[in-house]
Amino acid sequence: MNNNPVLQISDLYVAYGSILALHGVCMEVHKGELVSICGVNGAGKSTVLKAIAGVLKPRSGSIRFKGKEVAGYKPEQLHKMGMALVPEGREIFPSLTVEENLRIGAYGRRLDKSFAADLEDLFNLFPILKERYHQAGGLLSGGEQQMLAIARGLISKPDLLMLDEPSLGLSPALVDQIFELIIELKSRNITILLVEQNAQRALAIADRAYLFANGRVEYSGQPQELMGNVDITSVYLGHNGGDV
Amino acid sequence: MNAEILFEFVINVLSMGSLYALISLGLVFVFGICQLVNYAYGEYITVSGYVLYFLGVFTNLPWPVVFLLGILAGVAIGFFSELVAFRPFRERSLDALLVTSFAVSIILQRLFQLGISPRSKAVPVPAFFNLNIQLFGVITPLRNLLIIGTTIVLLTVLVLIMKYTTLGIAMRGASENFVTARLMGVPANLMISAAFIISGLLAGVVAIFWSARTGSVEPMMGGTPLLIGFIAVVIGGMHSLPGSVLGGYVYAFISNVLSLTLPSSLLSFRDAFMFAIVIAFLVLKPEGLLRGNYQEERVG
Amino acid sequence: MNLSKELSTRQESARHAAAKDYTEYFSFSRKSSTVVILIAILVVIGYFIWWLNIPFIEDIFTAGTITLIMALGFQLFMGNSGVLNWSYVGYVGIGAFASAIFSMTPSFKAMQIPTMYPFLVNLHLPFPVALVAGAMVAMIVAALVAWPLMRLSDAVGAITQFALLIVINVLLSQWSQITNGPRTFTLGGTRLTSLWVALGVAVLVIIIVYYFKESSLGLKLRATRDDRYAARSSGINFVAVRYYAYVVSAFIGGLAGGLYSHYILSITAASFYMGELFMILSMLVIGGSMSVSGAFFGTLFVTLMRQFLRQAENFLTRSGFEASGSTEIVVAVLMIIFLVWQADGITGGEELTWEKIKRRLPNGKKSREKVSKNVKQEEKA
Repeated sequence: MNNNPVLQISDLYVAYGSILALHGVCMEVHKGELVSICGVNGAGKSTVLKAIAGVLKPRSGSIRFKGKEVAGYKPEQLHKMGMALVPEGREIFPSLTVEENLRIGAYGRRLDKSFAADLEDLFNLFPILKERYHQAGGLLSGGEQQMLAIARGLISKPDLLMLDEPSLGLSPALVDQIFELIIELKSRNITILLVEQNAQRALAIADRAYLFANGRVEYSGQPQELMGNVDITSVYLGHNGGDV
Repeated sequence: MNAEILFEFVINVLSMGSLYALISLGLVFVFGICQLVNYAYGEYITVSGYVLYFLGVFTNLPWPVVFLLGILAGVAIGFFSELVAFRPFRERSLDALLVTSFAVSIILQRLFQLGISPRSKAVPVPAFFNLNIQLFGVITPLRNLLIIGTTIVLLTVLVLIMKYTTLGIAMRGASENFVTARLMGVPANLMISAAFIISGLLAGVVAIFWSARTGSVEPMMGGTPLLIGFIAVVIGGMHSLPGSVLGGYVYAFISNVLSLTLPSSLLSFRDAFMFAIVIAFLVLKPEGLLRGNYQEERVG
Repeated sequence: MNLSKELSTRQESARHAAAKDYTEYFSFSRKSSTVVILIAILVVIGYFIWWLNIPFIEDIFTAGTITLIMALGFQLFMGNSGVLNWSYVGYVGIGAFASAIFSMTPSFKAMQIPTMYPFLVNLHLPFPVALVAGAMVAMIVAALVAWPLMRLSDAVGAITQFALLIVINVLLSQWSQITNGPRTFTLGGTRLTSLWVALGVAVLVIIIVYYFKESSLGLKLRATRDDRYAARSSGINFVAVRYYAYVVSAFIGGLAGGLYSHYILSITAASFYMGELFMILSMLVIGGSMSVSGAFFGTLFVTLMRQFLRQAENFLTRSGFEASGSTEIVVAVLMIIFLVWQADGITGGEELTWEKIKRRLPNGKKSREKVSKNVKQEEKA
């Protein structure tokens, strides 16, 4: 791990109107790491991703991405700099075909040979997308939509891939598939920031973890420690650390 | 004889409908991207109309150049009105945007009255526009056929842009989910500017045929096309580009049928009937004939 | 948030009542002070202008007061529900024509509007009755058409209301058996809306609009404005509360229309269209649409500004510059500026109360101390 983190957040405050959702969050993500953020509903997990991606404007604090201060940047600028957020609930464009969804994901990229090669590579990861290439996104099943959403994030070759609840609303078999996929992405040395309610699963594959509660980082460190600590798991993650 | 009446009816519906389709398409492009019902759209047409008038009266430029400059004027007013008046409200409420577009519309109308004249001005029209053509026994001015042809060409170009260019695909994505499109790197300002530019371009084309039909321009001339656009958009569906085109033709059809069937004593109430139909549509079928994939917030 | 503030103030006042803190009632800091202040301002200005006895200024005041009634009725629905109500000026028009038809003498009607339905020609009511009857007509029309429209919000709602305005306008301008069609409708006779009549109605309407806002119906309506879904889940039928407010608003609009037609004495359907709508909309936006004080001061401000600009316009036109219409441009630009930088208007969407005035007074320190004392007492209680 080198000294320059891909993402470094310090003392971040974010508010919805007058209600403060994040109280001075500090965290960092290094190159090639898989960092997981856990916590119960309303702990501020999605909020921190939205703030990083520029959807929410921070009230104060600093967000450094690849060494540059980016707090207050627009989402499209951050995407151009190499960030990709796969939003909660997938949010694919329903009337656009799989191809068109991917082309929006590749916005700003030239449609040249390297693009074609990346696309071919994505099809190896997600063979189903090749089959459904000309179908409207809204006609895909939930699992397929999640694949499309992740593929749409990957096609821009991000330096930081953020996944917001990728297993939400999927059947257990599909959840397995998604986590296998995340492990595969990690083995390709992609830097990933993963938000999950399914803490047990997320912690099992993470390099490091942050535990959020009430808009604060309650704990950060090795996932094994976190899982081993009965107090923390029972207080912050429910009795057995989420459903298994 | 009967076939001729039918054919005349068809030509009327198609030529009026083409014009109306372009009007409503111009409204829907903006509505789709920023959910703004743009009351100032009628004034884009007026701006183009006045440019046509000035160039036609005071210069000897050839017609294609005059038309091109007229269309460019529409593009310019669309682009700049968004930049100056609408951009500061992006993050605010939709109602603020709506009220602003209403204010912009009033400002432009008063500026025309003040700077040009409150009275209408005759617009020179190229002679071939009014050339009478006999087609299957029906005599119709050439401009009626020109508008149909122009609409076909414009729609084809727009379809190609929206379907195959990155900009077009991004615009369709942005109209379904603006935030997610931005997360994918689609620039918000570019999308909105593009929508207003296309809207202004359509207004410019509409201005050519509208002023040719009425033969004049005046400060309030944008009112009628705006209302027609509203009706067509509501009938066709506010979230669907093909729907708005369809709405234009359906409106022309209904309006022609009403003209033929309403007794003359009720003819002056035609607009009231049209708008009553609009209200009924909005109450019973708020999504229009063709619904887009945008989820309209509606509580019932 | 507004709602929760509101509820907490209510609880607070209940607590005060329980503590028998009578000073609170007499100290004028309760909400009724707003009504008293607004009425006082209006009556003082009205009395002063009547005492001046300059017809030109009296006319400006009377017309301004009628506009105030119009703006208040507009605020009653739009301000509390948050729904843009473009159709409102249509009801003003209905009230204007209806009350005029009721109050005109049959012989004059027969002469002026030969196409009129005979049963309307023979109708004749004294002015006050005609005024209320005209407003009732506007209200009944609203009551008949509004129910299905109240479900719609946002863009669909705006277009629907706009379409309704156009339908009303076409009917008013084409129905020659009632309104003389597109021609000017002349009332004849003397001006029945005097300064005092307009002032009296305005005082009544201020009271109605203010206490409507404070009533439980008004509170529910404001709750639907702040969050439609939350309000619905607390058992508020938002279609119904919107409907009642819309109908009351149409009544006040009709009243203003009747006063207007008996003031100006010749009307056309075009007097109740985009121009009027723009005027009262600008008043509400500049004053602050969420409060009665906003409608009041918005009307005051815009009326004064328009008069000033009109004079400047006339002066320019006399000096050879074509300037007619520039008033609207200035008002429209000002409205946009307000929307960008001060979206809640000059009042900030709040009511003017005695407390706020006291705080601004030169010896405001004292009263501020009093306030903090009150707060301390509350904390003890």
